[in-house]
Amino acid sequence: MVAVVVLQLGFVARGYWADHKEFAFQMFPESSTWRADVVRVTADGRRVPIELPWSGYRWDELVQDRGLRYPAIRHHADAGLDNQLAFLEAALAWVARNTPRDAETRYLEARVTSWHNADPPRVGVLRSPMRGAAR
Amino acid sequence: MNPAAVGAPPRVRGLVARFDDLLGRRVSMRALALLRVLAGPVVLLHLQPFLSDSLHGRIYQDAFYEPYASWYPQLPGDVYVGVLWLGAAAALAMALGFLTRPATATTFVIVTYNLFLSTTHFHNNRAYLVIVLGLLAVAPCGRELSVDAWLRRRSGRPAGDLSAPGWPLWLLRFECAAIYGASGLSKLVDPDWFGGTVTWQRVGRARDQLEAWPLPDWVVSTLTDRSFHVAAAKFVVLTELFIAVGLWWRGSRYAAVWVAVAFHLGIQGSASVQVFSFLAISVLVIWAVPSTRDRVLRIDPTAGPHRRLGALVRALDWLARFRVEPARPGSRLEIVDRDGTKIGGAPAVAFTLSRLPLTAWFTLPVLLLPAVRRARRAG
Repeated sequence: MVAVVVLQLGFVARGYWADHKEFAFQMFPESSTWRADVVRVTADGRRVPIELPWSGYRWDELVQDRGLRYPAIRHHADAGLDNQLAFLEAALAWVARNTPRDAETRYLEARVTSWHNADPPRVGVLRSPMRGAAR
Repeated sequence: MNPAAVGAPPRVRGLVARFDDLLGRRVSMRALALLRVLAGPVVLLHLQPFLSDSLHGRIYQDAFYEPYASWYPQLPGDVYVGVLWLGAAAALAMALGFLTRPATATTFVIVTYNLFLSTTHFHNNRAYLVIVLGLLAVAPCGRELSVDAWLRRRSGRPAGDLSAPGWPLWLLRFECAAIYGASGLSKLVDPDWFGGTVTWQRVGRARDQLEAWPLPDWVVSTLTDRSFHVAAAKFVVLTELFIAVGLWWRGSRYAAVWVAVAFHLGIQGSASVQVFSFLAISVLVIWAVPSTRDRVLRIDPTAGPHRRLGALVRALDWLARFRVEPARPGSRLEIVDRDGTKIGGAPAVAFTLSRLPLTAWFTLPVLLLPAVRRARRAG
């Protein structure tokens, strides 16, 4: 019983620095919002918005959860901005890894504008790992 | 005694012994049995979107997901769907109390397995559900309010012991309070939250939805006014902290439970929280004193209103708090509380209803009326 209590308190403490706050129970932590322009950067340098289907793939079918389906639309970061951007970064990596018919994309890039609560907007860039299949 | 305490100073040994005694003290499992019944539908509600996707031929692997660990076993699609349906069947069996222990353990394992398949599956309400199921799985909570108990009675076997060591109950109480405490504390230490910025922005962005409701303009203006949220945010934070602390003391427990139910109803009406409200309200039953049939309701069986109250209590006394006993014809309705206090007449009705899970929230405020307070003091 003591072990469970200590573990729970540890999870609560971990919630103050971890992106994913499992068992930390920080409900409705922020009013932060975000939006992102996500593009595929091809081997010949083109930057193609993911709103355009490619090689038989659609972003809104590949990424459906955690408010990432339509990244160009400004959304509330339900579980906080750090959590949301960690999910976006993981989604870019997942799409890069799981689109084998796509032979032209080198990597995916998201130019993210985020508003932490009432703070001024910040702009950052997230990238997927480089894909090996691009020619 | 805990072996670790054997070489410790006497004062520490005494504390450890008292703690051991608390953990091992046998208490009624009735509240956990009731929670098991309530948790079954919550699990079904939780699994519903996964099952619905599976019926449309979709599982989590068909879109973005992020495993917690590469070694975590990923089942083939058909097997995964089968496991989800097994989880639903187990949840149903758990609620009914049929093969209760294995059904509850199966439900816990499957819900937990599914939760940790992907970081995208994780939500606070699901984490709470895993905790509740884990503790229900280790507690012997199938000996009442269950098909198992009914089958046992039917076959003439003696009823199982309805009490058990209390540690799962105490642990679940800790988790329940910790959740309100953690949530309240995280808001208390965040200047944007405690200062009202977070709620003000959230409500402000939902202004269109607010205006679609049949609310007077002044209400909408107030709710979207920043200065209102400077106070309202503090009220929210202190409410969560009050629930976390108030649940632990008998003097404040009923108030904390009442506030918690109102709090969850408010959240349910204003935010999308999956099964959190249903689960959190259900878990509140564990704060009932873990002893049963220690209050007596005396009714005159020849009086219609008494009989009706008796029937109501027999139907809704899910925590088994009352013994209903017949009194002499012409007697007034009377409650004998567990400390021997006697209450009669209308205050007794209010008191009785305030101790039934389904009617408590509506009748607890009635206990604050001067007439009811006088009657309880006089008893």
